[in-house]
Amino acid sequence: MSLKSYSRARAVHVMLVYTGGCNGCDIEIVNSILSPKYDAEQYKIFLTWNPREADVLVVTGPVTKFNEEPLKKIYNAIPEPKAVIAAGACALMGGVYKNIHGDIPSEEIMGPVDKIIPVDARVPGCAVRPEDVLSGAVAALPKLLEAK
Amino acid sequence: MEASTIIYSTAAVIGTIIVAFIISIWLPGIERKFVQARIQQRIGPPISSPGIMAPLKFFFKETINPNSPLPRLYNALPLGGIIIVFFILLFLIPEMYFLGALTSIIAIVGLLKIEEVIYVFMGSFSRSIMSLSMPFPDIIKGAAHPDIKRSFLEDLSSLRAFRLIAFGSFPLYIALFVPVAMAGSIFLGDIVLYQQLNGPVLFSVAGILGAIVFFIGYMILLNEYPFAILKTKADVIEGPYMEYAAKYRSYTYLTRGFLMFTLSALFSVLFLGIPPNILSWGILVNILVAILFPILSAIMSAFSPIFTFKQFYPVAAGVSILGVLAILATFV
Amino acid sequence: MDGKKKSSGQNVIETEITMGPVHPAALEPYRVRLFVEDEIVKDAEITVGVNHRGIERIMEGLPVEKANSLTEKICGICSNVHIWNSVMVAEKGLEIEIPERASYIRVIMGELERLHSHLLYLAHGNEVLGHETFAMRIFYIRETVMELLRMIGGNRVQYGVSIIGGVRPRCELDEMRIQKIKEGMDFIEEKVAEFADRFVSDPMVMSRITGVCPIPKKEALRLAVSGPTLRATGVDMDLRRDMECYDPFDFDVITLEGGDVKANLLMRVLEIPESVKIIRQAIKNLPGGPITDRTWEMQDTGVIKSYVEAARGRLYHSYRLEDDRVRGSIVRTPSMSNIGAMQYACIGHHITDAQLGIVQCDPCFTCTDRAIQIIKL
Repeated sequence: MSLKSYSRARAVHVMLVYTGGCNGCDIEIVNSILSPKYDAEQYKIFLTWNPREADVLVVTGPVTKFNEEPLKKIYNAIPEPKAVIAAGACALMGGVYKNIHGDIPSEEIMGPVDKIIPVDARVPGCAVRPEDVLSGAVAALPKLLEAK
Repeated sequence: MEASTIIYSTAAVIGTIIVAFIISIWLPGIERKFVQARIQQRIGPPISSPGIMAPLKFFFKETINPNSPLPRLYNALPLGGIIIVFFILLFLIPEMYFLGALTSIIAIVGLLKIEEVIYVFMGSFSRSIMSLSMPFPDIIKGAAHPDIKRSFLEDLSSLRAFRLIAFGSFPLYIALFVPVAMAGSIFLGDIVLYQQLNGPVLFSVAGILGAIVFFIGYMILLNEYPFAILKTKADVIEGPYMEYAAKYRSYTYLTRGFLMFTLSALFSVLFLGIPPNILSWGILVNILVAILFPILSAIMSAFSPIFTFKQFYPVAAGVSILGVLAILATFV
Repeated sequence: MDGKKKSSGQNVIETEITMGPVHPAALEPYRVRLFVEDEIVKDAEITVGVNHRGIERIMEGLPVEKANSLTEKICGICSNVHIWNSVMVAEKGLEIEIPERASYIRVIMGELERLHSHLLYLAHGNEVLGHETFAMRIFYIRETVMELLRMIGGNRVQYGVSIIGGVRPRCELDEMRIQKIKEGMDFIEEKVAEFADRFVSDPMVMSRITGVCPIPKKEALRLAVSGPTLRATGVDMDLRRDMECYDPFDFDVITLEGGDVKANLLMRVLEIPESVKIIRQAIKNLPGGPITDRTWEMQDTGVIKSYVEAARGRLYHSYRLEDDRVRGSIVRTPSMSNIGAMQYACIGHHITDAQLGIVQCDPCFTCTDRAIQIIKL
């Protein structure tokens, strides 16, 4: 492993963007990053709130209309190489909010996330479990390591 | 001067700076892993991650143009910061004491002041998307005060940096003058010589008070947690550093570790009389102080909330008074 | 909303600081505009609407069971209380008597959720204070509650315990589960007491939170504040006393004076032992019998309303049943009525404290973003 990939694997800065989900995933992810039980820092994952510092963007929620532009802006602000993890059922397919009454689309929801920004890893669950978020972060790593 | 002396001195200076650099990149990791994580009852990151691997990683990232009115100047500022810290360390090494006025307390105070002024510039040049430029329809019909001047979060932290210059760094500067008052000279060479003859400044009443004041000043200058008004997560997020990405961010990371070492070296020169020099065993004391200081400050920051001005003014004023007492005590 | 308390005409607003929709102190997406002069907040405006997903619209015309489980997705923090209240609406309308055991299990779940919500509040409050260590310690305690919730409901966040006529069969409490709950309660009570001692004796934390962002009693009533935030201002008001399912239990309603950040944080600390007390009584006197009554019949009803006391305050659900379908659903959540207090609390305080003033009202903006109509009186 080159020094470049080695250093990338040893310090992963994660940024969270909540795009209007029900808060369940958000709390679970903050929990997994912060709480002593799941302590993501032992897997070299650090929490940051600055897109310029981040490598991995974790997006939860179905992306409501007001959140579409901020999400794009934040994604563009992250310097390459970057990876995106969509966490939770809403981020993956819009959840219960997107597909209402058969196939009538909701006008509130601009998501799912991969319509707006490219997604590299998907974490299922309603709400996501902290263990799954950590494994999702691991799944997104190869993209970071192999990038130039 | 003979040629061999010059070679020796040059080797000592370069060797000391390399050792200082190697030590300083481990300091953030020690702080994070062995102090904060242990206090918070978790495992914490590997010791190399925050100090070495993170700057390396940022170094390999894509260089982007920061959102700033003067992007090039903004990106040059952390380099300026690291050069200033480098010069402070350089003037602390005994081989450089022939430089005279540059190796005096006044020069060091001046350089530290420039380091602080850099924060003001950083803050006013940064225009992060995390506050005002985030697209959100908030000025709409019925919005309160629609025609008011709007400022970025970084303007706030620039304002705070300005205030830190005004009063926040008093403790450190007062503490620097305790050994000066004892030795009766502003030159580092004389202060070191005085301590070699009369024992370290630290082992006197004035010295102990001065050391406490110096420690608080150290935390304020490094923006450690209770005094981190420049980069409070709860309002200004990261303050002046917001727009740094890629290698410029790695410079800011390195500057921080290097500043930690340099301030500790300053302490051991002024209060213990042991200048950093690779050619003497005294460097071990320097390294010990450099490890001890971050550990102490990490313990303190792990157990304290962020201060607002309501707490900051009294603490800074109280510690400054303590520093003045320490200086008075040197005359008794 | 008018935040006109201390901001009179002579105040000069220097500039505006904008935070959000993505901000570390907020966690949830919302925009707050703080109008400051010399770092002192002179006026504040909170813009919500980022989270609006139109749950009421989605509920329109759904079968009642489906609509009930959808209400759970209103909020990930207080999900249980939403489905509980929504089920209670149907039960009120269809006049269903639920078995006593089911009622007890619902109360246990409700109180466990209150524990987890209060602990989350304390952790988040400490994080905004800048005290990472306290936040970590609270998160550590909170994990116990989350494990209990996962054990009973099968999921850490959305457990779906209540159904019309009782509780879901998987939420039956057997001996093993009761034992686990008992152990968990002992652990939480001990650890929270430990934390509370440490918290109130910390001079730096106390100087940060004492007298910061107070909401006077009169203003709290004017702004229609609800829940623990209201009780922290000295108003004795708790809907749990009026709820039928809480009748068998003996608990105290705690009120504090001042309504500042300290009172609010201590309010949650003091309410935790009360919740533990209720859970202990419930598992001690847990009656036998079935947990679900499936003998009810669907019929059309008029508009039915129901209030419960959620962890954050009054929660109101209402809808009518028509051809087995839900019509005209209205949800009014506690944070909705607390927004006025959030804006009020920051005014006149330092900008770092302003975030604390917002957090002290226990905001949950996913709950808040409902379709509402503000009628000016």
